[in-house]
Amino acid sequence: MRYLPYVLKHLRRNWIRTGSTVLGLAVCLFLFCTLQAVLAAIDSSLQSASASRLWTRHAVSLVFTLPLSYEPRIAAVPGVRRVANATYFGGVYQKPENFFANFAVELPEYLAIYPELEVPDDQKQALLADRRGILIGKGLAAKFGWRIGDTFQMESVIPPYRVARPFEFVVRAIYDVDLTRHPGTDMNQALFHYRYLYEAARNAYTQAGTYVVEIDDPARAGEISKAIDALFENADAQTKTETESALVAGFIAMIGNLSLLLNGIGLAVTFTILLVSANTMSMAVRERRTEIAVLKTLGFPGRLVLLLIVGEALTLALTGGALGIVLGWATVRTLMNAPFVGALFAGFPSAGLTPAIALQALGVALLVGIVSGLAPALAACRAGVTESLRAV
Amino acid sequence: MAAVEIRDVRKIYTRDSQQIVVLDGVNLSVPEGEFLALMGPSGSGKTTLLNLIAGIDRPTSGQVVVAGTDLGALSEGALATWRSRHVGFIFQFYNLIPVLNALENVELPLLLRRLSRRERRARAMLALEVVGLADRAKHYPRQLSGGQEQRVAIARAVVTDPAVLVADEPTGDLDARSAEEILQLIEALHREFGKTIVMVTHDPRAAQRARRRQHLDKGLLTES
Repeated sequence: MRYLPYVLKHLRRNWIRTGSTVLGLAVCLFLFCTLQAVLAAIDSSLQSASASRLWTRHAVSLVFTLPLSYEPRIAAVPGVRRVANATYFGGVYQKPENFFANFAVELPEYLAIYPELEVPDDQKQALLADRRGILIGKGLAAKFGWRIGDTFQMESVIPPYRVARPFEFVVRAIYDVDLTRHPGTDMNQALFHYRYLYEAARNAYTQAGTYVVEIDDPARAGEISKAIDALFENADAQTKTETESALVAGFIAMIGNLSLLLNGIGLAVTFTILLVSANTMSMAVRERRTEIAVLKTLGFPGRLVLLLIVGEALTLALTGGALGIVLGWATVRTLMNAPFVGALFAGFPSAGLTPAIALQALGVALLVGIVSGLAPALAACRAGVTESLRAV
Repeated sequence: MAAVEIRDVRKIYTRDSQQIVVLDGVNLSVPEGEFLALMGPSGSGKTTLLNLIAGIDRPTSGQVVVAGTDLGALSEGALATWRSRHVGFIFQFYNLIPVLNALENVELPLLLRRLSRRERRARAMLALEVVGLADRAKHYPRQLSGGQEQRVAIARAVVTDPAVLVADEPTGDLDARSAEEILQLIEALHREFGKTIVMVTHDPRAAQRARRRQHLDKGLLTES
């Protein structure tokens, strides 16, 4: 600690250089934090998937729908315990920025397949009894201040479901989830009766978006998936059945290999800032050759000189890192509530800059500090005193 | 007892394939409390000899014993520790750290000692009082004249109370008046504090202040 004022004074020697390096590091770590927050949200989505649930969708794409007649045939496949129609509604509440996932589902079956959605019995009964009733997550209720009995309207962005007037819903139940046992479960979705959609839109187009299938034995998932798809092999609408985690992964893959892309960007940015930081430290040490020789003349051992220089680099990196983390935290928070972009984050059940990501970012900053300071520090440590003094 | 004992020291520099003999079998004994001036033309090896005495360079052969320690027997780390305890170095160009004020510059060698911040500050302040610059303690090098900078450098050299002070052209970068003040100060350190001083100089008037003068030419030392 006694050398800290000395290190800080040296960093203040060239404000512009120190400031720009710290800002550069801050931007790098800010990007790292933001990208990792998105990746963590994606991972969290995958974690929430259950091995005993299969999803059957159109073989071509999730965009295409399946006939309602498929449901009893799927239910008849050996090993299938329950089937529920789950159709993405694409409803918008007031404005697109308010995005949340909303599905028209066969509620009794769906809730049986998803026991992690905890709904009080009285609310469940009220929900099942009301055709316009809607089940919302606790997060969604908190976000919009909805309480049991409140009504709101949504209009779908999907053409077949855009009927003459918006759909009106009554909040009949609010679900909670034990996130310790079921991490990553979406607390911000809304589920309503499929029959409400069916009745309102039947003159236009009514099919199932997907079928969620509960099976007896997760070990037989592959075999059952093949059996279901085999049923419709020669039909107009062929199916693709896969585990829930594969479906989520496939959905994310629709926007490209995000993990690879985001990690690649993060790595490139980190490497660039490492070079910038190393250059800054090299310049700082080069222009202080004589001073370092003076320190050694006064009796500072080479090892201590090395530590002082690495300490300088670490102070730079950690200051930039801390600033980047704060920026990242603030940005992720802002983005989650921002118009349009917020909808992207809201698509993931769990998004945000967690302490683990902040620690990872600090680790990166620490690494940048050590690596960028080490080479010039070693050179300064090894340089001969008399040669350096002669360089005046 | 000799504060500095140089025995048959040779120093050879190799540039490309050429060997340059800077010191050729030099012998020198400086008793404790001596004020010695080393004179000689440029390139005669004065600074090299001074560096050997200060322990910042090593001879090609021969023995250098300072304050009772054979410097050749010390590792680099041990030599650094030895320097911090036994030698004070005064440079021609002061070599103060520009980002530190006068007090912090003087305090610098004390960072290597087990002293509290208060003790370090008190000792550094005392050293500044000795050189007459206590009122400039908070001034940075750029705010001081050349003579004042050299005084701060002298305070930094004596703050650890070293056995030997080595000065490399301490008046070489100063005007006549400032040079005179610095020489008076070095004389006072020798006279009043009994410091052993080895000073390299080109200036015959500066050399006259020393009790003993040695002349170095072509790697050989002669009494003058």
